[in-house]
Amino acid sequence: METRRDVFQAIADPTRREIIGLLAHHRLNLNAIAERFDVTRQAVSLHVKILAECGLIVISQKGRERICETRLEKLSEVNEWIGQYRVFWAKKLHTLKIFVEQEPSEGRVRAKKNISIPKKIKRK
Amino acid sequence: MKHDPIVIEETINAPVEKVWQAITDKNKMKQWYFDLKQFNPAVGFEFRFSGTGRQGEKYMHRCRVTEVVENKKLQYSWQYENLNGYSLVTFELFKEGKQTRVKLTHEGLETFPQNNPDFALESFAGAWTHIMSKLEHYMSTQINIAKN
Repeated sequence: METRRDVFQAIADPTRREIIGLLAHHRLNLNAIAERFDVTRQAVSLHVKILAECGLIVISQKGRERICETRLEKLSEVNEWIGQYRVFWAKKLHTLKIFVEQEPSEGRVRAKKNISIPKKIKRK
Repeated sequence: MKHDPIVIEETINAPVEKVWQAITDKNKMKQWYFDLKQFNPAVGFEFRFSGTGRQGEKYMHRCRVTEVVENKKLQYSWQYENLNGYSLVTFELFKEGKQTRVKLTHEGLETFPQNNPDFALESFAGAWTHIMSKLEHYMSTQINIAKN
């Protein structure tokens, strides 16, 4: 039997759907993904490999870690325009959340706000 | 065929002002959204950016700001060059204690041409739609889990 590698195969398996769901919101390394599942690390590793071959995720080497990240644009292959947008916006908003929460500019935001607050003129 | 708008919510652990900056300052927008040449949260401001379709073709997004309520609401049109159809994207910010709830609404996606493979809603079989809806359901439950 010929092995198929496309998005259809990618999301046909429940574990792989769960992996996509996990990665839709966080980039995770392989070990962190494996920790979330009851199956062996090898099994998770194989699912990840299939997802990568289907183009739904990309794996990048960062030092000793292998970071997995979704490429959900691939889901456009299923022609589900609105579903794809739902995933797109969920991912964007989550990225917004992560960006805002880790942005070290709390002080800068305050400082900016203060620009309009000082009322030195009143004292003179 | 009428479709419900997409509504996605996220609760962010930051004040509304900071979230407002992130969705209106082009230097911050590029960190999580798109890299725009310019952005100005003012009604009538127009901007564009490109996206890639399934065959690698470029889709130019064309947007025009339609409503601005500082720290509360930002709305713009979302259209594609050389394609009919008109959709609207709305960001609403709600102060919830020290947190901010962001509500995103995208409506009108169904107005895009159905004969373009990238936009075809009805072109594929029911079984496949079923798998997708399960996936979407899963995604949305994950979002809720992430929120709590």
